[in-house]
Amino acid sequence: MRFIIRDDPAAVGEYVGNYISRRINEFNPTPEKKFVLGLPTGSSPIPTYKHLIKLVKEGKLSFKNVITFNMDEYVGLPRDHPESYHTFMFTQFFSHIDIPPSQVNLLDGTVEDLIGECNAYEQKIKDAGGIDLFLAGIGEDGHVAFNEPGSSLVSRTRIKTLAYDTILANSRFFGNDLKKVPHMALTVGVATVLDAREVVVVVTGQRKSLALSKSIEEGINHLTTLSALQMHPWALIVADEDATAELRVKTVKYFKSIERVQDEVETMHRELKKKKVNGVNPNIIEQVPSME
Amino acid sequence: MPTANSLVCFTNCKLALEDGSIVQRDLWIDEEKGIIVDAQKTFFEDGRRPDTIIDVGGSIISPGLIDVQINGAYGFDFSLFPNEDAKAYDDGLRMIAERIVETGVTSLLPTIITQQKELYSKLLPLLGPAMHPNSATLLGWHAEGPFLQPEKRGAHLPGFLLKAPKGVATFEEVYGAEALSKPSVQLAKRGNITFPGVRLITAAPEIEGVLPAMEELVKRGVVYSIGHSSASSEIARKGVLAGARLITHLFNAMPQLHHRDPSIIGLLGAPPLIVADDVPLFSNDPAAIIEQFDGADPTLHGAEALSEAPSPSQSPPLSPTRPEDKPISSISARIGKRERTLDGQGVAKKLAPKKSYAKPFYGIIVDGCHSHPHSVRLAYTAHPEGCILITDAMPMLDPHLTDGLHEWRDGRRVVKEGVKLYIEGTNTLAGSVVTLDTCVRNFVQFTGCTLGQALKCATYNPAACLGIENHKGTLRPGADADLVLLDAAGNVKGTWVAGKKVWPVEK
Repeated sequence: MRFIIRDDPAAVGEYVGNYISRRINEFNPTPEKKFVLGLPTGSSPIPTYKHLIKLVKEGKLSFKNVITFNMDEYVGLPRDHPESYHTFMFTQFFSHIDIPPSQVNLLDGTVEDLIGECNAYEQKIKDAGGIDLFLAGIGEDGHVAFNEPGSSLVSRTRIKTLAYDTILANSRFFGNDLKKVPHMALTVGVATVLDAREVVVVVTGQRKSLALSKSIEEGINHLTTLSALQMHPWALIVADEDATAELRVKTVKYFKSIERVQDEVETMHRELKKKKVNGVNPNIIEQVPSME
Repeated sequence: MPTANSLVCFTNCKLALEDGSIVQRDLWIDEEKGIIVDAQKTFFEDGRRPDTIIDVGGSIISPGLIDVQINGAYGFDFSLFPNEDAKAYDDGLRMIAERIVETGVTSLLPTIITQQKELYSKLLPLLGPAMHPNSATLLGWHAEGPFLQPEKRGAHLPGFLLKAPKGVATFEEVYGAEALSKPSVQLAKRGNITFPGVRLITAAPEIEGVLPAMEELVKRGVVYSIGHSSASSEIARKGVLAGARLITHLFNAMPQLHHRDPSIIGLLGAPPLIVADDVPLFSNDPAAIIEQFDGADPTLHGAEALSEAPSPSQSPPLSPTRPEDKPISSISARIGKRERTLDGQGVAKKLAPKKSYAKPFYGIIVDGCHSHPHSVRLAYTAHPEGCILITDAMPMLDPHLTDGLHEWRDGRRVVKEGVKLYIEGTNTLAGSVVTLDTCVRNFVQFTGCTLGQALKCATYNPAACLGIENHKGTLRPGADADLVLLDAAGNVKGTWVAGKKVWPVEK
C-alpha cells in the first residue's frame, strides 16, 4: 500500500486528479480499448473532480474513451432527487467533462428488481473488462462505498441497509428528518472494489482520522471495511494532514519516506520506457511495482 | 462523422433564476425544439449530451425580457391603422418584433391606447399571438381603454372614452365578441405558440359596468388591469375582488397616495391575500383562510411546452390568484383536508370554500422621470413580488434615435433628450422612449436590488401575471429557450428566441 500525505483537501484533490489523469493518459484509451474507472460520491472526492474538470477544460485529459462505474445509489430515491447520487455525479462531474452518457454506469435504486439490478451491474463490470482504477472515499466508521461495519469483506454488489450512523450523518441532506433519509442502498461490494486493478482512496478531515488509523494501522476487520485494502496488491491512500491526526508518528514518517523513493523509481522507469519504445517489448515495463 | 445533435450547452455562465438569484450553472437547450431541457434527464435518460458548447465567458443568462405595455417602436404605432391596410399593419408588427430583440425583449404585448370604438374590432383580430423567424414573440394584445376615467385620461382622447352600461355586452360591442370569447384550442396552437395568447384590458373599476364585465371576462382568460382611474381604496379593493391581477403604470393616471385613502397605490400595502369582507384579514385561525380560487378551465392552458419534466404549477391565465403563492399552498397544506378543520374544542366544522385574491402585480415605468427613483423604491419595498418593469414606450422608441428635434404627429415636433421626450417648446413629456434593458439597469440603481432581482421584475413577474410562466420568463426545463445574455452591469450582449440567436445577427 502506498500512502501520500498532502497539506489540505485541495492539494489532495490536485494530487489525485493528476494521478488519475496520468493513469488514463498512459493507458492511452481508444474506442476499442477503453479505460474503466470506478467512482465515489461524497464530499472527499469533490476537489479531485474539480481538478479533473480543470484538466479536461485545459485539454490535458479526455473521458471520450473512459467508462465509469459508480459505487452506490439510494433505493427508492428518484434519480433526479437533489440528493440522489445521479444528481451528485451529474452536477459535480459528468456535466463538466466530455464523457459520452452511454459510458456512464450507475446503479438504479428505483427499479422493481433490485437484486437483478445488482447482478447485472457486476456482469456489466466484467463485460467492460474489469475496473482499471477504483477511486474511493471513506466513511467516519471506515466504510467503503455503502459497505457498513460488519459487511462481508468478500461481498459483491447487493442491497444494503444503511447503518444508523450513516442515516444520522446523511439526515443533514434531507432537512434533518430521519424519516426522509433512505434506509437502503445498492452498493458495490468490498470484493468488487478489491477486484479493481488499482484502488485509490481519498481521506480528508480530522473526522476521518480514526477510521484511517483503524484501516491501515490495525488488522483486517469487517467493522472497518476499508481495512480489506491491506489485501490489495496496488492500493494508494491520499490523505490531508488533518486526517493523519490519529496515526502514529512512525507510520506517517515511514510512508513519507516511501513517497520519495517511489517518485524516484517511477521517474527512472518512465525514462527507461521511453528508451525502450523502439525496443523488443515495451510492455515488459507496463507498471512500476509498488515499493511496499 | 455523424451530424451534431441539436442540443446546445451554454457554459461558463451565471443563470438568472426565477427567484431572483443568480447562480453559476450550465444551461442546456434544444435548438431545434426551441426549448430549455432538463440537462440531467437528457444525460441519463436520453443518453445524450450537447455537441455544441457555447462558452459565454462568465456572462449572465436571463430569460428574455417581457414588455407587457408598449405602444409602438421604431416609428410604428400599434394604435394606428392607416388606410385600414392589414398587410402594412402586419409588416409593422413584424418589423418591431424583429428589431426589439436588440433591447433584450423576446416577448411583447402590443398595447392599443383609447381609439374610436370602431377600430378595436378591426385591430384586435390582427393581434393574435404570433411568432415570426428571428423575432420576439407577439403575445397577444393589451387594450388600454376606452373604459377609463375621463379625469385620469392622461394622453387618451376624452371623446373616445366610454362607459359600459350593459357590462360584458358593451365590452363585446367595442372589442368584438370574437376577441373576448374563450380561446379555442386552435388559437392556442397558432404559430407554434403553446399558450392561448394574452388578452389584457386596462379599465377603471369605478366606470359603470366595468366590474361586472371584468368578473365575467377574467373567467374567459382575460387579464384585468386597474388603471387610468380615480378609484378610492374601497373601489380598488373591489377591483381586485373582481379579478384584477395588475395595476397599469403605477403612480401615473391615478390618485396620489393619501394616507387616509391610499387608493389604488394602497393595494401595494394590502396583506398578501385580499379576501372577502366577512373574513378577518390577519387571523391565526386557518379556518378563516380562504380556499384558492378554482375556476380555471384546463383547456385554456394550451398545450404544455414539450416538457421533459413534469410541469410545475402554472397560474391559470384567468385566475385572479396565483396558486404558486406560498401563503396559499402552505396554508392549504396546514389545513390538509380542504373543507374541514378542527376548532379549539376538537370539533370538526365545515368551511365554505371562498375566494382569495393575491395582491395584484403592478407595472412601473423605470425611466427615472415617469416615476421618481424614490417612488420606484417605495413601491418595490412594499411589494417586491408584484413588480413588473414596463416601458410604456411611444412609437419614437428606438435606441438608435439621436437626441434633438424629431417630427412627431400632426406636424408637431418633439425634442429628445436621453430617455426624455418633450413636445417642442414645452416641458410636457410626450411619453416614454426608454428601452426595457435600460429600465432593468435603472431599477438596480434606484432600488439597490441585485441585477437578478431586477431581471425577475422584467421576466418571471410579467410571465406569472399573464399566466404563462411555464413557457416564458423562466429557465425551467420545457420553457421556451428565449434568452438574453448580459454582462455584469446588465448590458445586453446577445438575444436568443426559441433557441436561435437573433441578436447580434452573426455575419
